[in-house]
Amino acid sequence: MTSIATEQAGEMLISKTERTESQVVRDIEHGETVGEPLMEDAKMSVRNTDVFYGDKQAIFGVDLDIGKNQVIAMIGPSGCGKSTFLRCLNRMNDTVEGCRVSGELTLDGSDIYSKKMDVVALRARIGMVFQKPNPFPKSIYDNVAYGPRLHGLASRRGELDEIVENSLRRASLWDEVKDRLHSPGTGLSGGQQQRLCIARAIAVSPEVILMDEPCSALDPIATARIEELIAELRENYTIAIVTHSMQQAARVSQRTAYFHLGHLVEVNDTEKVFTSPEHELTEAYITGRFG
Amino acid sequence: MTDQAKAPVESTIDKVNKTLARRYRAEKRFRLYGMLSIGFGLLALVVLFTDIISKGKGAFLQSYIQLEVTYDSDVLGVYDVNDEDQMALANFEGVVKQALRNRFPEVSSRKDKKELYQLASLGAAFELRKQLTADPQLLGKTETLWLLADDDIDTYYKTIGGEEFIGATSDKQRAWTKSLVDADEIELKFNINFFTRGDSREPELAGIWGAAKGSFFTLLITLVLSFPIGVAAAIYLEEFAPKNKWTDLIEVNINNLAAVPSIIFGLLGLAVFINFFHTPRSTPIVAGLVLTLMTLPTIIISSRAAIKAVPPSIRQAAMGMGASPMQVVLHHVLPLAMPGMLTGSIIGMAQALGESAPLLMIGLVAFVVDVPGAINDPATVLPVQIYLWADSPERAFVEKTSAAIMVLLAFLIAMNTLAVFLRKRLERRW
Ligand SMILES: Nc1ncnc2c1ncn2[C@@H]1O[C@H](COP(=O)(O)OP(=O)(O)OP(=O)(O)O)[C@@H](O)[C@H]1O
Ligand SMILES: [Mg+2]
Repeated sequence: MTSIATEQAGEMLISKTERTESQVVRDIEHGETVGEPLMEDAKMSVRNTDVFYGDKQAIFGVDLDIGKNQVIAMIGPSGCGKSTFLRCLNRMNDTVEGCRVSGELTLDGSDIYSKKMDVVALRARIGMVFQKPNPFPKSIYDNVAYGPRLHGLASRRGELDEIVENSLRRASLWDEVKDRLHSPGTGLSGGQQQRLCIARAIAVSPEVILMDEPCSALDPIATARIEELIAELRENYTIAIVTHSMQQAARVSQRTAYFHLGHLVEVNDTEKVFTSPEHELTEAYITGRFG
Repeated sequence: MTDQAKAPVESTIDKVNKTLARRYRAEKRFRLYGMLSIGFGLLALVVLFTDIISKGKGAFLQSYIQLEVTYDSDVLGVYDVNDEDQMALANFEGVVKQALRNRFPEVSSRKDKKELYQLASLGAAFELRKQLTADPQLLGKTETLWLLADDDIDTYYKTIGGEEFIGATSDKQRAWTKSLVDADEIELKFNINFFTRGDSREPELAGIWGAAKGSFFTLLITLVLSFPIGVAAAIYLEEFAPKNKWTDLIEVNINNLAAVPSIIFGLLGLAVFINFFHTPRSTPIVAGLVLTLMTLPTIIISSRAAIKAVPPSIRQAAMGMGASPMQVVLHHVLPLAMPGMLTGSIIGMAQALGESAPLLMIGLVAFVVDVPGAINDPATVLPVQIYLWADSPERAFVEKTSAAIMVLLAFLIAMNTLAVFLRKRLERRW
């Protein structure tokens, strides 16, 4: 009895200054995404996209453009659908049992989910780096060479060597591993493994790289190196990164998208999101009131 | 403050220390239990091995009698060794008998002579034929040769000095044997026949090679059929099949099949392969088919477990690179699951090697003298051979049975060692 009474009292107290979270959530279920989700000349565009796991809807009507040679950061509380959304972009959701994606997703104007789109070719154009480093239990060389071999990118051995070296250099791993290219990739440290995974992803020269919390298993120094790397990669690639660290989002991205319970609440330039967020949920999240 | 200091407060670490002693005791006890059970297992193994080895080691040696043999043309009825008809009808037994008569000239009565002739095995005549065919110059010459003794003499000779086993030997035969012993004209030699011949009614001529080859052909067929089928089924079920109630049903049924008594597979094989498809009875091919049915569930279950153990992150990484489902399986899942699959398959093979019940149903129990040369020759297999010998009345088959068990165990140990070796060799960490 007493606890309910105090809760009600507390709620009333808050509601004087601001609306309760449940009210806001009721609001976003009908509301549009605030900010500037759409843009001219987008690399990828997502329209009216829903994702279901069985009967449960995980993403609700998202519209979003991803700009060329830009880093877009996706933030939001745990379970809000960031990973789910990211996996839509290279059709990794196809491999999830019971997952259904609807809506219109395009890469350079061509529909990703059309029957004509070959998943293999798509994933050669849109690479992915996972949350936990997952190198193959093969040598460092074979890890990086896997994609080029798979897609037949190198006709000669020398060409393959070149691709491997270039990729490792761009992932700033070359100096550390150049003497042991043929030792197992799983023998590297966590941060090195993640950079190896990035090298593996860029070895096929994708146009877009998706990163799902790439630094969550890493220490600050390794994280800093990967952030530097992302900044360099931006010159040639389009990058979508999911992160739990607001500082990281602020450091590496040009645009930031805030997700909440499967809804895309706000998209704006990163600076704007972190200095003067338009939506009260965004503000609540970045100021640490929930998440 | 002072109040608290006076009160005998127990700090957390004191409490922990108290339970610690108990924990150590429990740990010690547990280790003891483990050591006891392992000790018990080892003891059982040692008892089994000593029993089998002490019983069976005699089978590796066989008694030979030294005799002066004359390749007498008149006795043999052979005047030209190159004449095949003459050789086919040649009376080598007569030569052996003559040699025995010459060695024991005092034997005169017809009945005694008959007993005397029983000292030598039929194998002695085979040996002489072989010698003469190899070297035609021997015709008419006299040679001192070691010839195979009969199994009763062999058994008796092996027990002289201990608790003598006389079996079917007569007083006179034992006296002759003793005189041979005194003259150093009877000796135990390595029993090459045991490793080179097929089954025989004569224990001194019975060998394990026929059954070993039969087992080899049978296992070859089982492996060639069940490994690819089992692995393919496991891959399909794990990687491609939709997860619905049909696949659940299949899973339940596979698990059930693994537990079905093996004799049922024999009945199935009899009904399907022999009565319906008319596969030749008593052959490695039909035995291999039946054992394939029997080992498939084991291989499928262990292969599925091996595939399940491949971390999903590897699959995701490969798919993220654009590998097709088939490429994910071929490049990553199979190599990583292979050690587990191989181990499971070899254990299944070892089971199949030791299986006899289903094979009795499909005629592998037939008495086969010839060593099989192909998968559709009549054959028997090691465990069935053991069963057949264990069932034979001759005393000399007792040691043969144990020796055959040793051979079977050697095969099993070799296969299991191979399994461990392959696993160690192929296993990769990730
Ligand atoms: N394979 C799945 N089957 C069913 N539901 C799923 C599956 N994967 C995710 N979900 C659900 O979809 C919603 C969004 O999940 P998602 O993994 O995208 O969240 P997230 O934002 O990435 O969270 P986190 O920050 O913790 O990684 C969650 O409610 C989750 O329970
Ligand atoms: Mg996630």
